[in-house]
Amino acid sequence: MKNQNLMLKMISDEYDSIEDLLGSRKDPGAPDEGPTVINLMAEYFRNLYQRAEEGGHIAWVNFGMPPEIFWAFDIIPLVIDSVGGTLAANQDNIVKYVDSAHEHIPDYICANNKVILGVAFAGEIPPPSIMVHPSAPCDSNLSTYPVISEYMNFPYFCVDMPYRVTEDMSEEGLEYMNGEMWKLVHMLEEITQTKLDVDKLKYVMECSNKSHELLLKIAKLREAVPCPYGSMDTLTEVGLAMCLFGTPQVVEYLEQQYEKTKEKVEKNEGYMTKEQEKFRLAWVYGAPVFDYSLYRYLEKKYGAVSVANMNYNLLMEPVDLSSPDQMLKGIARKITKLPMIRECGGTFERYLDPAVDMITRFKADAAIFGGHVACKANWAIAKMAKDKIYEKTGVHTLNLELDLFDQRITSSDDVKLMFDNFFEMYLLK
Amino acid sequence: MSALEELTEIATNLESQALKAWKAEGKKVVGYLCSYIPEEILYAADILPYRVRASGCTDTGTADVYFSSLNCSFSRSCLQFLLDGHYDFLDGVAFTNSCDHTRRIIDIVREAEPTKFPFLHLISCPRKITEESIGMFKKGITAFKKEIEDCFNVEITDEKLEDAIEVYNESRRLLKKLYELRKSDNPPLTGRENLNVILASSVIPKDQFNTLLKQLLAELNERKGISNYKARFLITGSGGCDSPDYYDLIEDLGGLVVTDTLCIGSRTFWHPVEIEDDLLGSIARAYLKRPSCPLMVDGVVERSRFIKEMCESFNVDGVIYHTMRYCDLWGGSVFDIRKNLKNSDIPILELEREYMFGGAGQLRTRVQAFLERIGG
Repeated sequence: MKNQNLMLKMISDEYDSIEDLLGSRKDPGAPDEGPTVINLMAEYFRNLYQRAEEGGHIAWVNFGMPPEIFWAFDIIPLVIDSVGGTLAANQDNIVKYVDSAHEHIPDYICANNKVILGVAFAGEIPPPSIMVHPSAPCDSNLSTYPVISEYMNFPYFCVDMPYRVTEDMSEEGLEYMNGEMWKLVHMLEEITQTKLDVDKLKYVMECSNKSHELLLKIAKLREAVPCPYGSMDTLTEVGLAMCLFGTPQVVEYLEQQYEKTKEKVEKNEGYMTKEQEKFRLAWVYGAPVFDYSLYRYLEKKYGAVSVANMNYNLLMEPVDLSSPDQMLKGIARKITKLPMIRECGGTFERYLDPAVDMITRFKADAAIFGGHVACKANWAIAKMAKDKIYEKTGVHTLNLELDLFDQRITSSDDVKLMFDNFFEMYLLK
Repeated sequence: MSALEELTEIATNLESQALKAWKAEGKKVVGYLCSYIPEEILYAADILPYRVRASGCTDTGTADVYFSSLNCSFSRSCLQFLLDGHYDFLDGVAFTNSCDHTRRIIDIVREAEPTKFPFLHLISCPRKITEESIGMFKKGITAFKKEIEDCFNVEITDEKLEDAIEVYNESRRLLKKLYELRKSDNPPLTGRENLNVILASSVIPKDQFNTLLKQLLAELNERKGISNYKARFLITGSGGCDSPDYYDLIEDLGGLVVTDTLCIGSRTFWHPVEIEDDLLGSIARAYLKRPSCPLMVDGVVERSRFIKEMCESFNVDGVIYHTMRYCDLWGGSVFDIRKNLKNSDIPILELEREYMFGGAGQLRTRVQAFLERIGG
């Protein structure tokens, strides 16, 4: 029962790596939200494991696919990026699966894809009922996902979206994506042998809308100086957004989180005190998940709090709940506005504008371009982004070349050294 | 000068005599990257579509300012040529979102040299082949047509477009005839020579090319076929497979490239544009429905099948799977193609390379070993 063990292992890894880290916080005033996120994620993985044991429906989706439509069909969406993110806490696991994938595909394919391929080739993950992803942001997804579905013989669906979103997402472009969403719905109906339950979809989307509303309010509070969130808080909540949006548990969590954060801001309390918080960092691309202690290092050594993170820069609009068609259109629109899809799956402006806006809103002192080596499209604009960010905000950018999951490419020590040099050159003057 | 010599001159020189003559008439030239750009629309506007490549590029210093070491050397070299003046004869460049590397070239050119090319346009290319995606692609190429008309102050009438489609279809028929000749046991031309014909087809007016190609076909009837080869190869894989030296390397060792499924090869001309009432719709349909690139997610089975069919009809002994380093589309696709070729007992050699053709010695050794393995 290899696949069952893996799911259990993922959960324990999640606990072991992240919970240990959060538990090691000793700073006075440090918030206690982290474990709540971990509990929700642990429950999510437990449910997945239980579902796999029962032989029920699981969909593999990637970060660019909103999970709500699957919850509406009572299909648990396994966000496959969360597999890589979770396994990365234990580098032995990453090495095992990445190297296994290297036997079949080139090394320069994204580690995120290689991990899922490696796990699948090893037979250590249950085959899904379907795999779904949008046509953005990258070629690595486009080339490996259909191939793995062909290899393992499970249904596959890609939600095609126009590339030039600004120009092409006219009503016609949106209708095209809406058509894609309806095709997906019909596939899910066939797979589950149930018709779309409109009331259930509406309930899920209500939860999703409420979550987004709360997230935006929390994001506004996070702009405060000192920042009420620590570096890890923004990182861990990304997982919730990817996997659990549309569930009431997330609404409940965010309601609590909003109240706590609001109270802290009203009292002018931060994750660190105003004196301790010396620098505010905005991660304008990826952020490494192979060693979470990096964020702690930055906080302790430099008083540098990671206050904003591109992957958590969720700026969607509420979805119109008036009809199934409007709800599906809303999900389609949401796909185009999700982080990564927005920044990597379109033209340069689609990257730059939200990055500049995020740096400005969060009053960042520096921008960190956590450049995942496999993200070729964004490495192609890294230099321009750095120049433009400086031109528009006066903020310097550190371009880190690393694999977000696999520290064999750039080790934690090397990352720390790059930060040390950057701080010395630009921030400690 | 024979037709083959003339076509080779055109293929070899960035600014061929034919191009100079075109420019001397005051006519416009628009470069394009990616075979999903519908050339017929440019041709109908009396604009020369010119496929952007960078053969002979030896230095990418300017492009390296923008691109990182993780970007493919083909795209880097094309960017270099676009920025450093090699392509100053172009009046514009058309792109698609073909891959993660080339789709950024337009972003960079817009920032780095905003006034260099009067016309810069990107057509959204769908990632699926469905009736709906054909509709979206038609919308994209309709916008492309309008922008050409506006920018160059021309009118692309239905009559001109229909004529362009016919000229291009004739070209497709003639190229297929050329490939038919290569099916014989003693093909009349090498892979390198064929490549030059294909390259020439992408940089001169199609009607002129058709005239030359007809002449070439006549000349080849008189030519003695090649018999002293050890194995017959099909080449497939990434764009950028446009270096005659690469073909030389294979053919000097006794291999003979008899066919391909490249975007600078058979995929662009294997099927004609079937004219229906709606001309732009006909073009959109033909471009999306032809043998696909891995950017089309629903083409996995069809791509393997096309390669297999080409192997069978050209009596191929082995497949050379060519990839540019960092090409995710072809890199990720190799798994399925390898599996299917293996199931059909067709040997495959996977060669990853850089555009500037470094490491020729290593490539030669691997081709030699492959020839030995398949008994050539």
